Amino acid sequence: MSLFLQRTFDSLANGSAYAALAVAISMVFRSTGVLNLAQGQLAMFSTYVALVLATGPSPYLKFSSNTDVLGAAWPIWAAILGAVVISMVIGAFTERVIIRPISNDPVAAVGATLGLYLLIGAFVRKQWGGRTMFLGSPFPQTVDDRWDIGGARLWHDSVGITLTMIGVLGLLAVLQSRTKAGLAFRAVTSNQTGSLMVGIRVSRVLMLGWALAAGIGALAGGLIAGEINVRPDMMGRLLVFGLAAATLGGLRSPALAFVGGYLFAFLETMLGGYVSFIDSQVTLVWALLVLIIVLFVRPSGLLPRTEAWLQR
Amino acid sequence: MRAKDPTTSTPVRIAWIVVSAALTVVAVRVAYGATPKIVTDLSNTVALSLAFAGLVLLTHYLGLLSLGQGALVGVGAYAALHAVNDFGVPVMWMPLAGLLAGTLIGAVVAIPSLRLPKAYLALLTLSLAVAYPIILKQVDGNLPVTLDGSFVAPSWTGITEEDEHIWEFFLVASYVAITLFLVQGLLKGPVGRAFIASRDEPEAARAFGVPVYRLRLYGVALSGGMAGLAGGLLMIPTNFNDFTHYPEELSIKMFALAMAFGGSRLISAIPGAVVLIFLPVWLIDRNWVVEYGWVGLFKSEGFIYAALLLATAYLTRGKGFMHLLDSRKHRKLAISRPVNRRVSIVVEKMVTLEDRLTEVEALVENRSDLRSSTEATD
Repeated sequence: MSLFLQRTFDSLANGSAYAALAVAISMVFRSTGVLNLAQGQLAMFSTYVALVLATGPSPYLKFSSNTDVLGAAWPIWAAILGAVVISMVIGAFTERVIIRPISNDPVAAVGATLGLYLLIGAFVRKQWGGRTMFLGSPFPQTVDDRWDIGGARLWHDSVGITLTMIGVLGLLAVLQSRTKAGLAFRAVTSNQTGSLMVGIRVSRVLMLGWALAAGIGALAGGLIAGEINVRPDMMGRLLVFGLAAATLGGLRSPALAFVGGYLFAFLETMLGGYVSFIDSQVTLVWALLVLIIVLFVRPSGLLPRTEAWLQR
Repeated sequence: MRAKDPTTSTPVRIAWIVVSAALTVVAVRVAYGATPKIVTDLSNTVALSLAFAGLVLLTHYLGLLSLGQGALVGVGAYAALHAVNDFGVPVMWMPLAGLLAGTLIGAVVAIPSLRLPKAYLALLTLSLAVAYPIILKQVDGNLPVTLDGSFVAPSWTGITEEDEHIWEFFLVASYVAITLFLVQGLLKGPVGRAFIASRDEPEAARAFGVPVYRLRLYGVALSGGMAGLAGGLLMIPTNFNDFTHYPEELSIKMFALAMAFGGSRLISAIPGAVVLIFLPVWLIDRNWVVEYGWVGLFKSEGFIYAALLLATAYLTRGKGFMHLLDSRKHRKLAISRPVNRRVSIVVEKMVTLEDRLTEVEALVENRSDLRSSTEATD
C-alpha cells in the first residue's frame, strides 16, 4: 500500500506539467482551431529565459550579461514570473504575426507552428548549446523537505508544483467564468461570427488566448525544470503526454485536459513501477498505446458524447 | 463531347518515354562514374523519395497531415533488418517486410484518428515520431544493429564485388520505379479522383457513394507502406540500423519538404529527398554546422527548414511551391475539360439536353412559321 501511495505521490509533479501543457494546447485549439505543436518548444524557450534571469551575468550563459541592467541574479520565483511575462508577449506576437494571416487554412497554420517548433529548437541549440543546465526548483528540495505519510514520502516541491498549477488553472477558470474578458473568450470559442456581431473584438480575445496558453506553458516549464533539468529536448516527452492528455479532453475542454494530465502521469508511474518489462523510458509507448485504445473505444475522450458531437 | 486530356496525349507520352530513357541513361552513367559515397547518397535519396511520395499522397491528395513519416521509415527499416537477421528472409525481398510493417502501423494509427477531426492524425503521428526513437533504443539497444547479409550482383550484370554500391543503387532504383509507377497509375484512375473528392468535398463525395473514411484509411495505410518500403530500401545501402537515424526532427523535416515541394504529382517528391540527404552534406562541406551565435543560427539546418515551412505557409497557403505551377496549368485546363468523371457525365447530359432543346426550338419555329403562313393564307 505504501508503495502504491509513493508512486501516486511521484506522479504529482509530472502530472502538473502534463496538465498545464494539455490545458494550453486545448485552449488554443478551442479558440482558433489550430493545433499548436510549438507549445512545448515555447515552454522550453521560456525555461531558458528563466535560467538566464536566475543565473545573472555568466560567461557560460549567452544573454545573461543583458540582465546586468536589471541587477544581479533574480530570485528563482521572479525569474520564472519574468519568463512567463516574456512568454505571454511572444505568444501574443505569434498569434498576431504568424497565425492570424493564415488562420483560415489549417494545413498552413499547422505548418507555421511546426516552423516555429524548428526555429525555437535551432535558436536554443545555437545560442545555448545542447548540454544540460540546472535551474533549480522554487520550492525547498533538500532530502529533509518531505512529509512521511503512510510510509510514503511526499516531497515539498511536488506538492508546491501541484498546488501552484492547480491554483493558476483555478484562477484561469475563475477568469473565464467571472470576468468580462472570460465571457468574451467563451463567446469567441463558441461562435466567432456571432461574437463579432455583438461587438466583441475577436482578434484581441484570440491574442489573449494565445498569450495565456504561452504563459501557462512557461510556468509549467519553469516549475518542472527543477525535476528534469534544462536542455533543448526537455519538452519532447512532456509534449507527447500533454497532447495525449488534451486528446482525453476532446482537445476542446481545458478542464478535462487538466484531469487527463494527471491521469496520464498516474498511468505512467504505475506502469513503470508495477509492470516488470516496462521501464521509465518505455512508459511513453504504453501511454501512446493507451491513447490509441481510448480513441478506438471512446473517440470523444472524457468528454460526454453529446457535448463532443455539439462541439464538432 | 469531352475534350481530350492533354496529359495523356501521344506527344506527352512520347515525351515521358524519352525523359524516362534519358534519366535511365543518366542514372547508369552516374552509378558507374561517381564515387561510392555519392552513389550511396543517391541510393538513399531514391529510397527516401518513396517516403516523400507517400507524404505527398497524404498531404496533397487526401489533405491529411502526417508528422510521423520519419518514424514509419524507421519502422520499415527495423522490420526489414530483423526479417533478415531473425527469420532468414533473403536480402532481396527484405524491403517487402518494411512495406508490410509500414502499412500495418499506418493503419493502426489511422483507424482511431480518422474517425475524428483531421488534427488527431497529426497529433497521433507526431506522438509516434517522438516515441519511435525511444522504442528503438529500448528494443535494439544503444549500439547499431548490422544486417546479416550482403548484396552480391548476379554474374550476368558484370558488376564486381568491389562495386557492390552500384548493384545496390540499381536495386533501390528498381523497387522505387516500380512502386511509383503502380501508385501513380492508381492515383490517375478512379481511386485518385475519389481521393481528391474526399479531400475537397467530403460531404458531396459521401453523397455520391464514396466511402470517405475507408478511402482515407487506405490512403494512410498506403502512405505508411510506402514509407516502410523506403525504410526497407534504406537498409540496402546502409546495412545497419540505429535509433539515432530517426529523431522526431526527421519526420518534421520530411513534412516541411513535402509541404514545400509536393505538388499533385508523385514525381515532386524527388526534390524533397534530394534536399533532405544533400543539405547536411552541403552544410558540412561549407563548415557551417560549427558556427554558433546569430550567424550560426541563420546557417543552421533547423533555421533553413523553419524558413521553408513559414514561407510555404504564407506564400502558398500550405499547398506547396509546385502547386503554383500546377494551378497555372489547371486554370488553362479547367476551361477545356471537367476533371471529375461524374461531373463530366452531368455536363455531357446537359450539353445533349441543350442540343435537343435547340432542335425543339427550331421545330417550334418551323411550326410557328407554318402556322403563321397558314394564318396568312386564311
